Amino acid sequence: MDNKPRGTVKVFGGTPLIIICVIAIALLAILPMTGVITSNGQRYLLKIFLYCALGIAWNLMSGYTGMTSLGQQSFIGIAGYALCVVTTTYHLGYAMGFFVGAVIAGVISLGLAVILFRMRGMYFAIATWVVAEALKTWFTSWSYVNMGGGMSVTVSPYPRTGSIYYMALVLVIAAFIVVYFLLKSKIGLGLTAMRDDADAASSVGVNIFKSKLLCFVICAVITAVAGAIFYLNKGTIYPSAGFDIGWTVSIVFIVIIGGIGTMLGPILGAFIYVILEETLSHYPGWSNIILGIIAILVILFLPDGIIGTLQKKLNFEIFSQRRFSESKAKKKIAAKSE
Amino acid sequence: MQIVISGILLGGIYALLGVGMTMIFGIVKLTNLAHGEFVIIGSYLSTILAKAMGVSPIWSLIITVPLLFVVGIVLQYGLINRVMLKGSEPALLVTFGLSIILQDAMLLLFSADAQHANISFIKNIFGRENISLPGGLYVSILDVLILIISLVTIGVLTIFLRKTYLGKSIRATSDDTQAASLMGVSVKKTYAIAMGIAMATAAIAGMCVAMRWTFYPSSGGSYLLIAFGVVVIGGMGSIPGTLVAGLIFGIAQVAGGANYGMLISYIILIAMLAIRPQGLFSK
Amino acid sequence: MSEPMLKVEGVQAKYGDFIAVHSASLDVPQGKIVSVIGANGAGKSTLMDTIAGIHKASAGKVYFKGEDITNLPAEKIVTRGLSLVPQGSRCFIRMTVEDNLIMGSFPKNARAGVKDTLDMVYTLFPVLKEKRNDLSGSLSGGQRQMVAVGRALMTKPELILFDEISLGLAPTIIKDIYATIKKINKDTGLTIVLVEQDTKRAIKTGEISHVMLKGNVVLSGNSAELGEEEIKKAYFGI
Repeated sequence: MDNKPRGTVKVFGGTPLIIICVIAIALLAILPMTGVITSNGQRYLLKIFLYCALGIAWNLMSGYTGMTSLGQQSFIGIAGYALCVVTTTYHLGYAMGFFVGAVIAGVISLGLAVILFRMRGMYFAIATWVVAEALKTWFTSWSYVNMGGGMSVTVSPYPRTGSIYYMALVLVIAAFIVVYFLLKSKIGLGLTAMRDDADAASSVGVNIFKSKLLCFVICAVITAVAGAIFYLNKGTIYPSAGFDIGWTVSIVFIVIIGGIGTMLGPILGAFIYVILEETLSHYPGWSNIILGIIAILVILFLPDGIIGTLQKKLNFEIFSQRRFSESKAKKKIAAKSE
Repeated sequence: MQIVISGILLGGIYALLGVGMTMIFGIVKLTNLAHGEFVIIGSYLSTILAKAMGVSPIWSLIITVPLLFVVGIVLQYGLINRVMLKGSEPALLVTFGLSIILQDAMLLLFSADAQHANISFIKNIFGRENISLPGGLYVSILDVLILIISLVTIGVLTIFLRKTYLGKSIRATSDDTQAASLMGVSVKKTYAIAMGIAMATAAIAGMCVAMRWTFYPSSGGSYLLIAFGVVVIGGMGSIPGTLVAGLIFGIAQVAGGANYGMLISYIILIAMLAIRPQGLFSK
Repeated sequence: MSEPMLKVEGVQAKYGDFIAVHSASLDVPQGKIVSVIGANGAGKSTLMDTIAGIHKASAGKVYFKGEDITNLPAEKIVTRGLSLVPQGSRCFIRMTVEDNLIMGSFPKNARAGVKDTLDMVYTLFPVLKEKRNDLSGSLSGGQRQMVAVGRALMTKPELILFDEISLGLAPTIIKDIYATIKKINKDTGLTIVLVEQDTKRAIKTGEISHVMLKGNVVLSGNSAELGEEEIKKAYFGI
């Protein structure tokens, strides 16, 4: 953990933070056994975990490397279908399904990177979306996956929600740790530097292409595993649902509300999103409208999201990545004037 | 040959879908992810108005074009100009949020049922739907009509941008916003007018969509991607490029048929983005 | 002396936290050519941008013809008769030369008699008339500067600020453009502010000189009376 205070910014870290995290995780792990929460409560938490993982993965891409993807649903759909094909067509276990899904997503992301990394900004964003739409169209007319008719997961005995709950919890913890240490490493340093100032990045001596590639693949794999767990819980997948842009809508909402480019943002955002969504489900048709309005208001008035705004107001950082972007930014501005 | 003819005829509507997007992209420097939804709003308005007044959908443009023009101006002034101060990424995400809101609002208002504008006026006027050409080929009167509407719209827009003070000020802003403001151009006002014009073209495109295909509240996404494809292939802000790109997509659609038309379009688009993101028609 | 045409009082301008202009004050009397001299980074361009409304002043006042124009948007300031030729010409490169010039007559007060103003510009720069239908992006650096000057004249200004118009141009072309500027001043009485890095050229052209150093105006006065030595000293801060 980074204990060195940076300027006037207090960094909340070290042993106390680890203890708090361990306690929180332990509580979440014991919770289903105590019978304190209802099966509905367990279902909500499961959903929160999955969205946390999706948010963490997207945040790594968009918040730290500046690549805004609108095509996360590609990897969710692929993993969901991999799970169905492995368990139904080849009669293997779901663990194998997870593995195959993650590997395929990883390989596809590598292939896509070759094409997509030639693009920047909105071109990249739209291209990722186009890829997802192309996959949706392809799966809808591909007889191997039963075309538009959808597929089911066939495993016996079918894991109970309780077990899937733990899979999701493990995924979130793993995703958080991987992303946190990636960002703390030299690679992360180079990426944040690049996001804030392209010139500074080269001075760090990090191969930016390789670093971005690593982030893209990690993001794809985390997203795929989350998708696989989701469809293990759900049981059936359709191209229109698996490759739905709605997935990215939710993820973007979560990260924006929580705070883009912060470690805690996606976690807080996922809680808020699932609670809002469950509450709004009593008013059918309105949930996306209200979520969309909230997202726009947040962008207008709290552009750093809840966590980002709190950090700025209170001058502290949790799970800080060392950044030297501020001094660099100043220099850049100084050079620009005149 | 029939494929080429049908493709060319369809190209007009694709160019029309793209032209509004190109304007916003080239002038406001914004990717409007809600463009598809505005097209579909145009489709619903035209269908409903034509039905209510008992006229052909084309007459509905008298109301929908000014209406969406004003909506565009209000949207740009009230919302997008403000977000653009915060950077291009927040602006992109706001239009994304807008597209979600509009899509679900249409779902609430119009239900998820498929809709189609009444095009019986063609049969009433011409007595038939197709015109036969020599060699067993034919053209659909509706498609010819849509092509004419598209070409007229794009032509009027081109003349406006080239010949009028307002049009020139829009092009100047697209080249250099600061220099334009030194010439007395209010950049915010120009952006609002450009958005208004883009929305007006979306209203016309929406009417054509409603006459040509069935549509749903969720149809906006695929038209957005087509529009984006036209922008990319045509090259930013280039109107002749937009026309050619429209034709490419039209032919791809017809050649690929119902199942693979969209897939082929998507693949062309991604290949284009990877190989020549600056478009076919820019230096 | 009557009220100066342009009066800048204690203007401060920042980029984020970086202060580019600390507290600049200067007067520009009507009908004169005034030089603003300073090294790279002295804050000259930022000051010009602030006067013309492209950049916001964080403190201080700008008066033009006795009226407070501080922080008015650029498009409002130009209609009052103050025009800036920004650094690097900034032509509309995808528009023709003539369309560039016509854009200069966009302000409502400049629209009457566009033909005459256009003829006047073409007389000053005959080469632009030859190339009227070429895209301005295809022109040479010197020709682009002519377009920028012509475009500014089209706004029917009473005061033009030229921001380092000589930057990157060949000496003979600079000489021509400066001769034209002097001619415009002599023939029409247009007030002119010239921003320059080259002390000699500035003193030769500008009757009055203001020297900027590190974001402040450190020396002002009649160019001939001050003399090259003193101006150079102020320029380098010795």
